[in-house]
Amino acid sequence: MAVTSIVDRLRARVGEAGPPRSATVEAGHLERFAEAIGDPNPRWLAEAPPTFLVALVPASVHLAEAEEYGKGWLNGGNRFEYLEPVRVGDRITATGKLADVYEKSGSSGSLLFIIFETEYVNQHGRPVARLRGTAIRR
Amino acid sequence: MRVQVGDEIPELVKHPTTRQLVQYAGAQGDFYEIHYDQDFARGVGLPGVILHGLLKAAFLGQLVTDWLGERGTLKTFEVSYRGIDQPGRPYRCRGKITRVAGDQVELEVWGEDSDGNRTTVGTATAELKG
Repeated sequence: MAVTSIVDRLRARVGEAGPPRSATVEAGHLERFAEAIGDPNPRWLAEAPPTFLVALVPASVHLAEAEEYGKGWLNGGNRFEYLEPVRVGDRITATGKLADVYEKSGSSGSLLFIIFETEYVNQHGRPVARLRGTAIRR
Repeated sequence: MRVQVGDEIPELVKHPTTRQLVQYAGAQGDFYEIHYDQDFARGVGLPGVILHGLLKAAFLGQLVTDWLGERGTLKTFEVSYRGIDQPGRPYRCRGKITRVAGDQVELEVWGEDSDGNRTTVGTATAELKG
């Protein structure tokens, strides 16, 4: 019964948005990120590679109650939509929201799926990217 | 750029190490211990530390941007993580053209572990320059 109530409590928060968070795309961060993923393309000294935005600002919706479910987190998937390039010096504001929560039974027990959506807007007020992420508690 | 449905794009083989996982943890700011603390990882039922899903996504992103270069723009990129991967084993990234409509191209991309299992699968769409 405790497990059910965690799911219900989380479901009640669907639609909730976290506070907007802003960060500037710094050359040093881009360089460290490209080095960490092992991509030597010189293009990434000035422009963000496809997955960089996840590194720019931390996830803005924190769900403490989700950690009462299962033993650990898994990343289920990510979907990026690109609207405009993100370049060094851009000031990006990310707004995340909890888009969905549902439970599924798998071969090794129940899993809790939590869907987050984040929109990234640049200093000109134009959306540059959207991200949909699936976090799993197992 | 001539692209045809069924064409495979040049593959990319990555050789992730525990050092890279620590580097990636720092660069992304994801300090979940399953990526660098062996005891913690085993404590949550994993065989040891595992690659960040988003690191595997970054590998597949490189696969696509290496192929695309400046000849087009990446529009969407989606990945699902189907299995865990451990450092010290090669990770083979591959992709295939699945749809061409005018200047729009869709690719299926995937990452294979050293046993050939597709532990990451996804799609990318790009708009080619005329």
